[in-house]
Amino acid sequence: MSAALLGALSGPHIEFAGLSPLIALLGGAVVVLLAGVLPPFEAPRARLLPAALALGTIAIALGLTIWQWHAQRSLAGSALRIDGLAVVADVVLLVGAIGAVLLAARSHAGRSRSGAELYALLLSSLAGMFVLIGAQSTVILFLGFELLSIPLYVLCAIERERERSLEAGLKYLIIGSIGGATLLYGLALIYGISGQTSFAGIAQAIAARELATNAMLLGGVALVMVGFAFKASVAPFHQWTPDVYEGAPTPITAFMAVATKVAALGALLRLFDVALIGAQPTWGPGLAALAAVTIIVGNVGALGQASMKRLLAWSAVGQAGYMLAGVVVSTRLGVRATLLYLAAYLFMNLAAFAVVIARERESDLGDSLRGLRGLAASRPLLAWPMTLAMLGLAGIPATVGFVGKFYLIDAAAANGYTWLGVVIVIGSMISLGYYLPVVAAMWMRSERSDEGADEAPSLRVPRPGGASAADGPLPTIAGAQETAEPQPAGAATHPEVALVALLAGAATLFFGIVPGPLFDLVSGAGRGLGLL
Amino acid sequence: MSATTFGWLALLFPLAGCLTTALLFRRLPGRSAGVIATAAIFLAFLASIGALVAILGRSGSQRELVSSLWNYAVTAGVNVRMSILIDPLSIFMMLVVSGVSTLIHLYSIPYMDSDRGFARYFSYLNFFVFSMLLLVAAGNFILLIVGWAFVGAASYFLISFWYRRRTATQAGIKAFVINVFGDVGLVLGTFFIFRHTGTMELLGSFHVAPHVFAKGSADVTAGCILLLIGAFAKSAQIPLHTWLPDAMEGPTPVSALIHAATMVTAGVYLIARMHTLFELAPAAQDVGAIVGALTLFVAGTIGLVQTDIKRVIAYSTMSQIGYMIMGVSVGAYAAGLFHLMTHAFFKALLFMAAGSIIGAMAGEQSLEKMGGFRRALPFTYGCFLIGGLALSGVPPFSGFFSKDEILLVTAERGDWHWALYVIGYIGALLTALYTFRMIFRAFHGKPVAEARELESGHLHHADVPRNPATGEQEDTDVGFPGPAHAIAERSGAMRVAMGLLALGAIGAGLLQIPRTDFVIDDFLAPSFAGSKLYTIHEHTSTLAAGLVIGTLLSLSGIALAYYIWVRRPTLPAIARERAGALYTLLHRKWYFDEAIEALIVRPAAIAGSFARQSFERVVIEGAIVGGAQTLAGASSALVRALQSGLLRAYATMLALGAAAVTLYFLLRA
Repeated sequence: MSAALLGALSGPHIEFAGLSPLIALLGGAVVVLLAGVLPPFEAPRARLLPAALALGTIAIALGLTIWQWHAQRSLAGSALRIDGLAVVADVVLLVGAIGAVLLAARSHAGRSRSGAELYALLLSSLAGMFVLIGAQSTVILFLGFELLSIPLYVLCAIERERERSLEAGLKYLIIGSIGGATLLYGLALIYGISGQTSFAGIAQAIAARELATNAMLLGGVALVMVGFAFKASVAPFHQWTPDVYEGAPTPITAFMAVATKVAALGALLRLFDVALIGAQPTWGPGLAALAAVTIIVGNVGALGQASMKRLLAWSAVGQAGYMLAGVVVSTRLGVRATLLYLAAYLFMNLAAFAVVIARERESDLGDSLRGLRGLAASRPLLAWPMTLAMLGLAGIPATVGFVGKFYLIDAAAANGYTWLGVVIVIGSMISLGYYLPVVAAMWMRSERSDEGADEAPSLRVPRPGGASAADGPLPTIAGAQETAEPQPAGAATHPEVALVALLAGAATLFFGIVPGPLFDLVSGAGRGLGLL
Repeated sequence: MSATTFGWLALLFPLAGCLTTALLFRRLPGRSAGVIATAAIFLAFLASIGALVAILGRSGSQRELVSSLWNYAVTAGVNVRMSILIDPLSIFMMLVVSGVSTLIHLYSIPYMDSDRGFARYFSYLNFFVFSMLLLVAAGNFILLIVGWAFVGAASYFLISFWYRRRTATQAGIKAFVINVFGDVGLVLGTFFIFRHTGTMELLGSFHVAPHVFAKGSADVTAGCILLLIGAFAKSAQIPLHTWLPDAMEGPTPVSALIHAATMVTAGVYLIARMHTLFELAPAAQDVGAIVGALTLFVAGTIGLVQTDIKRVIAYSTMSQIGYMIMGVSVGAYAAGLFHLMTHAFFKALLFMAAGSIIGAMAGEQSLEKMGGFRRALPFTYGCFLIGGLALSGVPPFSGFFSKDEILLVTAERGDWHWALYVIGYIGALLTALYTFRMIFRAFHGKPVAEARELESGHLHHADVPRNPATGEQEDTDVGFPGPAHAIAERSGAMRVAMGLLALGAIGAGLLQIPRTDFVIDDFLAPSFAGSKLYTIHEHTSTLAAGLVIGTLLSLSGIALAYYIWVRRPTLPAIARERAGALYTLLHRKWYFDEAIEALIVRPAAIAGSFARQSFERVVIEGAIVGGAQTLAGASSALVRALQSGLLRAYATMLALGAAAVTLYFLLRA
């Protein structure tokens, strides 16, 4: 009916097929929100309805994206583009979102009355990411950037009764707004000198008018780069990351860690490799320097962290540095390597965060490293995914992290950035210093460890609420949960959390040994970009 | 079945053994984990023999086989398959690794019997052997790196196996850090070479290398030196050797495994495998040869004054690996690998025999406290003596032939290699000295209380387990020996393992006797077909001189040891007083640990703490401030969070960062 109406109105030609995943997400967000205002059922199962609807929406979007797999065209009056880069990044995003929804499904926030809001916001943020990745005009780029960010600010603060959550949301809002403003200023400068908003037009203007060394254009490039650096937590614009990661509800942290990075890097790839490709000799070394600083800062900052969420936040900073290496070189190989690493990063982080969430819900130690002690003995099915995730993030061979890092180094070395490859290797070396202690805590420490037994009470009391301490089993006194009687995983842990952990851990290992499917996935990603 | 099928099987069995013991350890009764693990390695050994037989059926030039299971990374720019390379060199290594490892597994079953981590131990052990076999069978650089890194990780697990022992976890970390440093060298070296050759396949690289690299060009030299860093770290060569003596913190069979047959020989294998590249980079070869010679000398001198029996053997390992590294670096490939094999036999034997004494001493490892075990442990004594004679290079034991052949080829290279030749023979004298110092102190002289107790048929038990390195009291849960231990050559499995190794230590030298038979040379020849250094025509005079000097030096070393430690037991104390500075130098192991501490560890720690403070201080301050606010429960907490300096600090950093980025771009305009 509506299609017939639109046809009759003879408006601009809109390709619904290409836009269908985006429409599905936004439509799903509305449906989920409406489901939330239905008269609240008291049965706990009814509370899971919004989560189920959100999962269904994402599954539909995933199906539609795969349906558009080979599409390569501009949509909506050249505002958006669907091509290899977009579909690969979208699939990675959606898989990450499925994980996040599963992790959130029975979290405190996810089951409360605001549960429906959580999923609706998550879906709209996801839609923003789709827009951002597909954007091929600076206006749409900024639109996507804000559509992604604003729901995330709210999501960070969604546990309204917990001050750390509110603080995280506010902090993210302030820092994120600075980032958004910087980006906008940069885009304005680029428009000012090139007179174009479309990526292709900007690229033409740079080539035709030899703007590659123009101060105004480069000033714009610098500010755009800074704006994206905020989003992707690239040093020195990363400071918000540990605080926000720690304060936000853990399922939201998991979503942010994975999805925001995919969106920011996807957009960065398209903007820099299409619109600004003419200025690559200038921005390449600058971005490479940022990547190197990020790798070092992130990996050094993570050393000695006692909170898993902070540790993963610093690790995310370091990992962002690795991925920038693929953007720097602006070759097809670089694009593929970045996307492959994003996929690898998705599995490793989902596994790690799922285990952190499971521990938060069943122990009173929250996300602290101490909470993982003796996990191998008591919960081998949680210890294995975490071990694989840590080894993968560290880039140990036979995990997908090794494959990804290897591909990135290869991409960097193949295009004259061998030194950046060396920095990646050194960064991985440093990173062993904080990934391995996590593994050691699980396998080589017992839950009732001797050292530090005295400090346990002080750790217990003032913790201002782990994400979902309230809905898990009643907090037990430290040590009451003995190792002697190993419980089958899933007794206290919610099965879907354990499932996410296991699947993501298995994927980390499987794609480390048989990475062929991942290479196939990203093989088409460089198509149609104006690469070197 | 083809040789490559056997090669895959040799990898499959240890992996399957590792997974079985790791996943089913709760359900495995009694010692079955040990039996499964031992059987897995034995099957790998049989598979290696199968590969040997299969390859012997082919003509010389057809003996290099590559087999790939699936495409690992076949995409633009990279082309890596899951492939193994089966050729005489890899089969040789697989035979040595799996053969000696089988015996070490067998020995471990009774040795680790009373340990609570029995299944965990065998799982680690199988993983270690799998990694090592992967390393030697790898058909491309990537699998080589994978095996290389796995070996490092497995060594970390095994060295810190008794994780309640503080010194053990520290030693494990030290080994791991140095190994990771070496891994970085290997990875970077690989990329250096890959950039020019464009292929990750080993055979492909070797085929292309002579066409893309000019001999002695900077790139290939840099690549080879980076590879050498990897080799030095794994093979404990100066200055990356400090992890090896500390690695003695692991159970004694682990020491035998890591230091005899597997891990430390990886560097020797690497240089031999990459000989095509190294021959294009003579400077790198020279570096390898000189470092090897230095190591063999320095380690030999340190071995003279150490008192912990396992550490003496560890320094001896370092010294012997020095010979091998020197050998393969001067082009004595077959001789170096021959020594690798004989050394695997007699060094594993020495470690096992030492384990037997340590069992009898209830965990005590100091030579100062041992003595007179000759009658109490006759079998161990015999084994230790055979191992010692082979290590010292007394004819006709195996070490004699292999060591002399390395030095012979070194001499044939002429020029300054003569210096290496001389150092090699000084090292041979030192070897005989420190080896027989151990034997005379542990087995001769007046029997100590533990020995007398054992002679009367009772095995000494310690009331409280103590850390042999520090003397601290230990947890009885983890850490050998618990009060239940009951070994010291009494177990059949241990005797079988030691007996077979003793046979190898005696007889393996017969495989290659100068001017008589050339089994090793001929077998390995196809792997070194492209080498210009492989066939060296030795002069009769050098050969004869070498054999005579070798015999004389080893015998006079033993005689000297006898004089010093048996006839004149007061002599060492007098020497210690007279040459105090020298003694301290050797006792402190040439101050390598202190130098590394001062030059690398401490500056790194300072930089690290500075970095952490500057990155984290704002955050910690913020967290404390934030926590106080939570407790106060003030409604204005959020407003204060804004004012807490945290965001101000962030904003400052952000503004500075943005300014720096913008400035960079404007300067480029």
